[in-house]
Amino acid sequence: MFVFFYKEWIKTRYYFMAAFVLSLFFCIYCMLNINRVIELKGAAHVWEVMLQRDAIFIQSLRFVPLLLGILAGIVQFAPEMQQKRIKLTLHLPCSAEQSVGSMLLFGAGLLAMLSAVNLLLLYTFLQRHFASELVRHILLTGAVWYVAGLTAYFFSAWICLEPTWKRRLVNLLVATGALRVFFISETPEAYNTFLPILTVYTLLTAALPFWSVSRFKEGQQD
Amino acid sequence: MITCKNLTHYYGKRLIYENLSFNVPKGRILGLLGKNGTGKTTTINILSGFLKPHAGECRIFGEEVQNMKPITRRNIGLLIEGHVQYTFMNMEQIERFYAPFYPKWNRDVYYELLKKLNVASHQRISRMSCGQRSQVALGLILAQNPELLILDDFSLGLDPGYRRLFIDYLRDFAKSEGKTVFLTSHIIQDMERLIDDCIIMDYGRILTQQPVNNLLEKYFQYTFTLTQGSLPYFPELFYPTISRGRVEAGSFLRPEEMRGMLDAHSVPYTGLKWTHVSLEDVFIGLTGKY
Repeated sequence: MFVFFYKEWIKTRYYFMAAFVLSLFFCIYCMLNINRVIELKGAAHVWEVMLQRDAIFIQSLRFVPLLLGILAGIVQFAPEMQQKRIKLTLHLPCSAEQSVGSMLLFGAGLLAMLSAVNLLLLYTFLQRHFASELVRHILLTGAVWYVAGLTAYFFSAWICLEPTWKRRLVNLLVATGALRVFFISETPEAYNTFLPILTVYTLLTAALPFWSVSRFKEGQQD
Repeated sequence: MITCKNLTHYYGKRLIYENLSFNVPKGRILGLLGKNGTGKTTTINILSGFLKPHAGECRIFGEEVQNMKPITRRNIGLLIEGHVQYTFMNMEQIERFYAPFYPKWNRDVYYELLKKLNVASHQRISRMSCGQRSQVALGLILAQNPELLILDDFSLGLDPGYRRLFIDYLRDFAKSEGKTVFLTSHIIQDMERLIDDCIIMDYGRILTQQPVNNLLEKYFQYTFTLTQGSLPYFPELFYPTISRGRVEAGSFLRPEEMRGMLDAHSVPYTGLKWTHVSLEDVFIGLTGKY
């Protein structure tokens, strides 16, 4: 497994470093915004706005994990399909489940780490200014976006690994519809009751790239 | 080592071949020769488990390729058409990646071959020339030390120098270690220097499978001049060409058999000559120019 992590790190390290910096940039941008409002109008005003107008002040982060998840899938799996390079991986003396599973675990693991760092950073900042209920309110709203990012990564891998263009297009439409679920409501904490279901939903999408690989091994092509 | 029985495959409705059967004996270097579109890469894809044939089965080391145990692949070296490798790695990184998968890994073989390349060890494979990439791919397969090597169009994109280097290294390795090699190439001249046996494919079927020496010994290129009339159809003559009464054709008939056949059919001819030709000429003789 670790040897696959080594290969994936060499392939994607610049992307993940850039993704890390970009996500930090957005987190810091949100924190500076909150700081500025607190300095201008006071913390009480911010609390009031949050409670009365359903503002969460990290709205700029909404689509960032989604974008990073999609790009991670492309950066990691598009090179595998160029010149059908995935044949090299599938020819290694280990099962496709082990090799592709390790690759997915690497990408999903780094995205999860990146999400955890983002949320931890936000938590550290927010708990200095807000009551714990409000911190929870903001982070639970944001957590859905990070789960969406992870789901987008699996969908992106599924589409990239699919061997035929026609099916890729179908997969893209299915993925777009499925990801829409995460962004239907803008109301904070709207997804609280669904969050466990959405997490299971994400774990299920992790099986989709294996389906593409199995089609590749059957020799499906345009 | 390899046994394929009654392979039939279609792409959509287009039949590639039907009931194709062949064996690759242990310790031999066997070349699969055929024009573009006759199914060489299809056969390699079936053998390497990346294509499920419409019917028939292939076995390697006695195991059906579609259900092969992953560990069996330790003993199969695969070169993908175009010397495809992980181009985002450099020479050292790729060696470090592959080594843990293969218990018989021999890194010295890899680095010895790469010494011949004028590249820095930290240079990424994507920045190497096609010839240099081919040596990296070959070095990795040789370091893997497999019992069977499957090489798809190894000469693609290589200049004569790299082709010669590739062939000499491969033949030396295979012969000194008793390895079995199954390969395809579109450059037949290279094959003559490398292979022991050949399978010549035409659209949908195998024309012949035999040792190259036998084939070169049995095949004659005939020329003669027709003194009148036209040449009747003889199935023993492959793709005869007639220009200004001068006939040129290949055949497995011995000269006395050839003469006997022409005489028996009262073909008016003169100046019958024959010669042995290169593998490339045999290939063109058997499959035609177009």
